[in-house]
Amino acid sequence: MVNFTVEEIRGLMDQAANIRNMSVIAHVDHGKSTLTDSLVQRAGIISSAKAGEQRFTDTRPDEQERGVTIKSTAISLYASLTDPEDMKDIPLKVEKNDFLINLIDSPGHVDFSSEVTAALRVTDGALVVVDTVEGVCVQTETVLRQALGERIKPVVIINKVDRALLELQVSKEDLYQNFSRVIESVNVVIATYYDKVLGDVQVYPDKGTIAFGSGLHGWAFTVRQFASRYAKKFGVDKNKMMSRLWGDNFFNPKTKKWTKTAEGGGERAFNQFVLDPIFRIFGAVMNFKKDEIPKLLEKLEIKLTNDEKDLEGKQLLKAIMRKFLPAADALLEMMILHLPSPVTAQKYRMETLYEGPHDDENAIGIRDCDPKGPLMLYVSKMVPTSDKGRFYAFGRVFSGTVRSGLKVRIQGPNYTPGKKEDLFVKAVQRTILMMGRYVEPIEDVPAGNILGLVGIDQFLLKSGTLTTSETAHNLKVMKFSVSPVVQRSVEVKNANDLPKLVEGLKRLSKSDPCVLTFISDSGEHVVAGAGELHLEICLKDLEEDHAGVPLRFSDPVVQYRETVGAKSSITALSKSPNKHNRLYMIAEPLAEEVCKEIEQGKIGPRDDFKVRARILADEYGWDVTDARKIWCFGPDTNGANLLVDQTKAVQYLNEIKDSVVSGFQWATKEGPVAEEPMRAIRFNVMDVTLHADAIHRGGGQIIPTSRRVLYAAALLAEPGLLEPVFLVEIQVPEQAMGGIYGVLTRRRGHVFEEAQRPGTPLFNIKAYLPVNESFGFNADLRSNTSGQAFPQSVFDHWQLLPGGSPLDPSTMPGKVVHDMRKRKGIKPEVPGVENYYDKL
Amino acid sequence: MSAQPLEVAPVLSTPDTHIFEDPTPPVDIASLARLSNEQLLVVYEVERTVREIRASKWRRIALQFPDEMLMDAPRVFEALARGLSHARNDRVSSPSPKSSHTNGDGADGVSKSLESVSLSEDGPQEKLFILADTSYGACCVDEIAAEHVDADVVVHYGRSCLSPTARLPVIYVFTTRPLALDLVFHAFKETYQSQDEKVILMADIPYSNHITPLLERLRHDGYSNLFAAQIIHDPSSPLPNRSVPADVKEKAETLRDYQLFHISDPPQSLLLTLSSRVGAIHIYPTDSKSAVSPKALLASSAATLRRRYALLTRLSTVSIFGILINTLSVKNYIHILNRVKEQIAAAGKKSYTFVVGKVNAAKVANFSEVGGWVVIGCWESSLIEGKDFWKPIITPFELSLALKGDAERVWTGEWTGDFQAVLTEKENAPAISDDHAAEENGGEERLQDSDIGSEEESAPPEFDLRTGRYVSHSRPMQAPPSRSTKKASDPGRQPASSSLMRRANGDLAQVGGVVSPAAEFLRNKRTWQGLGSDFEIAYDEPSSTDTPGALMELGRSGIARGYAVGGDRSKT
Repeated sequence: MVNFTVEEIRGLMDQAANIRNMSVIAHVDHGKSTLTDSLVQRAGIISSAKAGEQRFTDTRPDEQERGVTIKSTAISLYASLTDPEDMKDIPLKVEKNDFLINLIDSPGHVDFSSEVTAALRVTDGALVVVDTVEGVCVQTETVLRQALGERIKPVVIINKVDRALLELQVSKEDLYQNFSRVIESVNVVIATYYDKVLGDVQVYPDKGTIAFGSGLHGWAFTVRQFASRYAKKFGVDKNKMMSRLWGDNFFNPKTKKWTKTAEGGGERAFNQFVLDPIFRIFGAVMNFKKDEIPKLLEKLEIKLTNDEKDLEGKQLLKAIMRKFLPAADALLEMMILHLPSPVTAQKYRMETLYEGPHDDENAIGIRDCDPKGPLMLYVSKMVPTSDKGRFYAFGRVFSGTVRSGLKVRIQGPNYTPGKKEDLFVKAVQRTILMMGRYVEPIEDVPAGNILGLVGIDQFLLKSGTLTTSETAHNLKVMKFSVSPVVQRSVEVKNANDLPKLVEGLKRLSKSDPCVLTFISDSGEHVVAGAGELHLEICLKDLEEDHAGVPLRFSDPVVQYRETVGAKSSITALSKSPNKHNRLYMIAEPLAEEVCKEIEQGKIGPRDDFKVRARILADEYGWDVTDARKIWCFGPDTNGANLLVDQTKAVQYLNEIKDSVVSGFQWATKEGPVAEEPMRAIRFNVMDVTLHADAIHRGGGQIIPTSRRVLYAAALLAEPGLLEPVFLVEIQVPEQAMGGIYGVLTRRRGHVFEEAQRPGTPLFNIKAYLPVNESFGFNADLRSNTSGQAFPQSVFDHWQLLPGGSPLDPSTMPGKVVHDMRKRKGIKPEVPGVENYYDKL
Repeated sequence: MSAQPLEVAPVLSTPDTHIFEDPTPPVDIASLARLSNEQLLVVYEVERTVREIRASKWRRIALQFPDEMLMDAPRVFEALARGLSHARNDRVSSPSPKSSHTNGDGADGVSKSLESVSLSEDGPQEKLFILADTSYGACCVDEIAAEHVDADVVVHYGRSCLSPTARLPVIYVFTTRPLALDLVFHAFKETYQSQDEKVILMADIPYSNHITPLLERLRHDGYSNLFAAQIIHDPSSPLPNRSVPADVKEKAETLRDYQLFHISDPPQSLLLTLSSRVGAIHIYPTDSKSAVSPKALLASSAATLRRRYALLTRLSTVSIFGILINTLSVKNYIHILNRVKEQIAAAGKKSYTFVVGKVNAAKVANFSEVGGWVVIGCWESSLIEGKDFWKPIITPFELSLALKGDAERVWTGEWTGDFQAVLTEKENAPAISDDHAAEENGGEERLQDSDIGSEEESAPPEFDLRTGRYVSHSRPMQAPPSRSTKKASDPGRQPASSSLMRRANGDLAQVGGVVSPAAEFLRNKRTWQGLGSDFEIAYDEPSSTDTPGALMELGRSGIARGYAVGGDRSKT
């Protein structure tokens, strides 16, 4: 049944120009997995009867049940271009007409978009699926932005055209207008995130970068396909035909003249030559005009089997359309012709991928996609194996060749060249090919390919770099568009099950790129996820699969951040326990833009300090001297708080720097108000007086003191609490909008954008909603709009908890702090500044 | 024990004395201040002390007072001295076995007779010493200080942890405190409505005298299932240092059927220990000043226990442990020290032993290499909690949990502060621990089997439960076998200090051929590595490139009391 072998695939792997690595990305429910089926079916893995229903890449039972993709799934497909004409259109010349398509189907729900990030990293092209009816939605935009950020070239398929035809019964011209509107909005997004190196990647039907079709029915077409049909038929140039089949090109069948307007009886060429046959088939089949069908079929050169001839209605339509315009053909053509091969893509992706210097051997290996170069492999996620507790490391070879038994250096995300932290040496046990729900062993895999590795999972938590070069830097750590802001704590019902829970938590955090599991200060096992659905799936996995023991879950809670609202009213001073050392500091707010840059990894502790200082000075108006003297980031050495040295000529300062930094990491991890992490605070070390003897200014004196002075400085600077806020996008018909406003207002949310989708009664509402108020929001919304509103929430930003000072227990933030402290088992009253501030 | 909140802003600085307090509940000094002579004799049990000293013929007696009782020390000293000489005189005059009996007439008799005796009458054969403050905690017997005066016996005043001592016999004087029995009685009746409730009566040591009268009164009132815990010297008992009902002696689990009525706040570690063993604990507070009858409060230690759990899981991936010796008198502390060292070494981690006297945040934060601390002390003082400690401090019991593999660690809420239990656990179940070790080794072997022909492969990192991240090299002492054998077999090639060697990337720092995590810390984590390293610190000011450093000069020498600068001896 499978019409290709592992050997064939292995053969193709060496021809990097014949490889296409691509991911399928879209908004939830736009039909990615269904569309992927068409391709899988072409490769002979599932029967054509099942295609469109099976969702082969939804490998988990709950994915099948819910009809939503949760994990991204990879599959390698073999394809060939039979038409020599097509071969000419491939940008990079290839020898053979066989192609290897490594395809990753990704989830559309925003809660799982970390899976998309992981998929995009290992691919070079993206098939963006857009629903004809719904158009570009919030997640379409998010994934497109992510793709372009990774320098991934997009092609688009406008899906569910059958719905437009069958349910909405639109006219040809309306459909055309609808298509162009969707394309326009896709291009607006693409243009917004324009990348100079990647060049213009906007999509046009007349360039062949857009397909139209129906994943469910298994058919799709590109303008190019029709163009080549007509080119043969009429003997005109194919490219000329292509440009005529889209846009304002009208053909008058009577005069046989092309015009630019519809005046004089011309009909839009797209409608006339492309849509017309499709409309006719639909009309004939759905209206049961039995006699017309054979004629049509003959005209279109479609041959049905006898069984198929007996079908009726939708089934017949499906059979005909599948013969007429097989989805796989259109998609494969589009991928092979318009998506880059690794050879092409790695040239421009190298600089965004590699952390080290762009001229070392590893960088050159990546740039040239050199199978003989030093191994550079990025593991982007872990895929559970059938062996419980073990995982395949899923990744892409960017340079060199990886084979079973090869000893590699495994560099975790915290690895820095020359240091031993997060560095391991290990032999790869086995290399495998990922085939949806199956895997196939393979001996070796050269640069440009996607693969799975056995025996690496113990060394990497979620992702990392594998290399054979001692000098190699890391491939850049992925940054996710979602953050784990919703937490629930977990405990075992039976104390003896604790080891199982612990083991389960370990597995859980490995199996999902985004989820975080840890133990809170108050001793609870906490699972943090991107949203309610994400957390629900994770906890279900945990209970049923990873841990396999009965568990109790707490209600969801959010994590807050402590921040400051102003500059410290006075310089904070703390003395060391022996009174011989004094630290003077001031806290002030750190600009939100800088925080975002830090959180997105654009400004970080690993940057060259001169470059970083330049950016801070030029873009954020910092004083250059200050910007050069950033001592550290915190918490966890990379958070969005800064410690800046503003002292002048302090003796022994270098000696205590480590201790002050330690105190800073400690203090920023547990703030003074509610022991929550700090965010967006810049601490300036104003002055330091130290004892002349080294023994009296050791860590014991300085570490606790710097923590205290940081607390004092923060408490003197109008402390505040930050709460996470979701960006909610809701699609809703006009009549149900009132309900939305009611629900949002009750939950402290507010609408900031409201736009009608052209040509539909649907409205797109964008609103901000505090995460803390979002629990049960979806259900609430559904009941208030009689199920007509579909919200998508994604963490957007931190916002100051309004209502006054968190130090005053009568205010709203004060109550939140009080409850939080109580929950943590610490004294409910916030200790005053006098506990940390020492008088001179 | 958390530091008490301060009422006013501290002058000069936050008192570091508040950071760590000994676990003794604060005693209101004012209320104890005015003890009449009669009271003094009763409270300090002078008569009993004298009797015991005489009976055992001890000659050099050390008196150990907790800090808040030191004010009474001279009077107690005098009273004892008089009592002793009186007793001796009695004996000389009438060497009858009844001598002790005559002394037992009661405090009045003694005090009367004492008044007539003067110290200087004859050369005192018994020599008394008042010990100054204790090094670790008032609850423990300070044997070291006592040995300095070559004492035969220590008289320990105040509340005590009753830890067994190693060297010296001890006379415990609990300095009984008064208690309004009526109020306790009513509070008890209010708490336990049903008279068949199985309740254990327990009191903090200074109140333990009141247990028996209370029990009698309650029995009289109809409570039938009461048990009064008597003080015994056994910290490992199910009720630490207290006797237990007969059925519990056979089956320790039956203790859970009992409720506990505790007079006065127990120390935190006792509360933690008890909370997992008995059904529910009600505490009758003794520190309330109000005239209203206080109510017994239900104690809950769940939050504290969870915090301890967080602490110990935090330490499971730490590579360097510091062992703090917080006692020098508890029996078996050497054994437990060795045991803890063994445990840490077996887990492939490094340990260093520290003796720092009373623990405070500044002292332990001086060793930033150390990832976590284990306190070896008496069972009451081992539990050190405080937000101000830079690295967590745990007990040997918690350590054994922390070092257990994640696959075996079970947290039932059972807690014990007494390390004796850890020791006996080892003795009783050596097979189990061996099995455990074998299992671990088995795991290792399996691991190595699976990757044949790759000797120098790294050990996998460990999952840090606390942060949810991987931690590499959490067992630095578990060097790959191949490497260590190479070294052992070829000592001639040991790097001499003078030879230059290229440091392989990713090698751990070594001192004398042994992996040294502390040296590794110095090399990788510290930016300041001594004089001269300033120039390497990456962060530079624009000006620092202009001045490439000053010339070397002769610095100061001598001791901190008075330095000599350069050649000039007079300058400081």
